[in-house]
Amino acid sequence: MHLDSVYRLAEGVQVRNEVFGLLFYDVRGPRLYFVPSKNMITDEFFEGKQQVADLLDRLCAEMPRPREWVHNQLGQILEKLARKGLICGQSIC
Amino acid sequence: MGNQYVEMGLSAPVNVTWEVTYACNLSCIHCLSDSGKKRATELSTDECRRVIDDLSAMKVFQFNIGGGEPFMRPDFLDLMDYAHDKGMVTCISTNGTLIDRDIARRLDHRLVYIQVSLDGATPESNDPIRGKGSFQKVLHALECLRERNIEVSINTVLTRLSFPELDRMTSLAADYGAKLRVSRFRPSGRGKRSWSQLNVSADQMLAFSDWLSQHLGVSTGDSFFSVSTEERRSLGLNMCGACKLTCCISPEGGVYPCAFLQEADFRAGAVPGESFGDIWRHSPVFQSFRELEIKSCESCHRFDLCHGGCPAIAYHTQRKLGVADPGCLENCVRVKMPATVNA
Repeated sequence: MHLDSVYRLAEGVQVRNEVFGLLFYDVRGPRLYFVPSKNMITDEFFEGKQQVADLLDRLCAEMPRPREWVHNQLGQILEKLARKGLICGQSIC
Repeated sequence: MGNQYVEMGLSAPVNVTWEVTYACNLSCIHCLSDSGKKRATELSTDECRRVIDDLSAMKVFQFNIGGGEPFMRPDFLDLMDYAHDKGMVTCISTNGTLIDRDIARRLDHRLVYIQVSLDGATPESNDPIRGKGSFQKVLHALECLRERNIEVSINTVLTRLSFPELDRMTSLAADYGAKLRVSRFRPSGRGKRSWSQLNVSADQMLAFSDWLSQHLGVSTGDSFFSVSTEERRSLGLNMCGACKLTCCISPEGGVYPCAFLQEADFRAGAVPGESFGDIWRHSPVFQSFRELEIKSCESCHRFDLCHGGCPAIAYHTQRKLGVADPGCLENCVRVKMPATVNA
C-alpha cells in the first residue's frame, strides 16, 4: 500500500456499503465478496478521488487507535482486495 | 458464502429477477409463468425506466431478465441500454427464437450475459417441450451470438425428458462455445399442470446429483443446492436467497420473493408506484420470509449444505412454507417425491 495511491474498482466489479462493511460483486462468476471493513472504508473511496494518505489521516482523527494500527488494518484490507482482483491501485505522483 | 453477513440484512438485493412481459411466441409445457399473450396491465416503457432508476439508486448489481420472451417487447433493447448506462449488469433469459444478427449486434455489450433455453440435444427431444421448429431457431441464435463472442449459457430445465440428454447437451453447448446451465423444474405457472408428467423421479434426482459432482463446469443458478454435494460447496449458495439476496418483479410490477412464488399470498408490493426500497426493507411478506425456519431439517447432517432447500417447491407441493423441500437429497433417498401439486 502506497500512501500516494488512489484505488479504483477493477473492470466488472461493483461495490456498495452494508452494515457489516463492504459488499463487492464481481461479474466474473458472478461472485460476491463480503468484506467486514469495520467502517474504515466506504464505497466512495473506490471512485479514485481520495489518496490513501488522506483516508489514513481522517481515520486517525476519528479512531482512538495508534496510527500504526490504523495503517496496518487499512493496508491489510486494500491488499486483500487487490490480491482478489477487485481493485487496482495507482500512484498519482 | 458469507451467510452471517446475509443474515444481518442487505441494504438491497444483489440481483433482481425481472419478468418484463407475459408475451411469448412459444408455449413451453413447463413454463414457470404460464406466458403467452401480452397483458394490458404490463409496465409501460416509462414505468420500466422508473423501476431501473429505483433499483440503480439502491445499487442493485444485476437484473436477471426473463418473461415471457423479453424480445417480444418492442422497447426491450432500449430498456437494456438504459440499465447498462447506469452500470447495471443484465443476464437475459430468452428462448432464442427472435435473435438474429442485428439483435446480436445490439447485445454485444460488456454488461450483457445471455441464457438461451433448450431442453434437448435434438429437435426430437427439444421440440415436444418447447415447440415445433424451436430447436433449429435456437441453433441459429447461438451461431449469431458466437459470431460476436457474446458470453452465452444454454439453459436446460431438468425434467424426466431432459435428464437423459445432459451429456449430449454438454457437448452441444461446448460446440457453440457456451456453458451448460441446468435449472430446477418447479411446479409454478404451466409447470403445475405438467409437474407429475415431467418432474424427475427420486432415483433420477440422485443420479443427477452424482452427475453434477462430476461436471463442476456446469452451472445451476443456485437451483440445486438442495442436492449439492461437497464437491460443489464453493460454487454457489447453500440456502434460498429469496428476500435476502434476491427477489422478483412481475411484468405488472408486482414484487415477490422469487419467480416461482408469484402468488397473491406472496405479493409484497408493486413498483414503480411504491418505493422498491421500502418494499425490500419493510414488507411483512419479505420479513416473514427472512425469518422462515425449517425446523424439521435442522438436525439433518446436510442442513449446512441446503438449509431446508427450495421453499417454492415445498409450498407448491404441500401448500405451506417452513417444511422440507421434498426433492432434497435426503428425501430422495428416504421417501418418494410427491407426484402431485396442490392447486
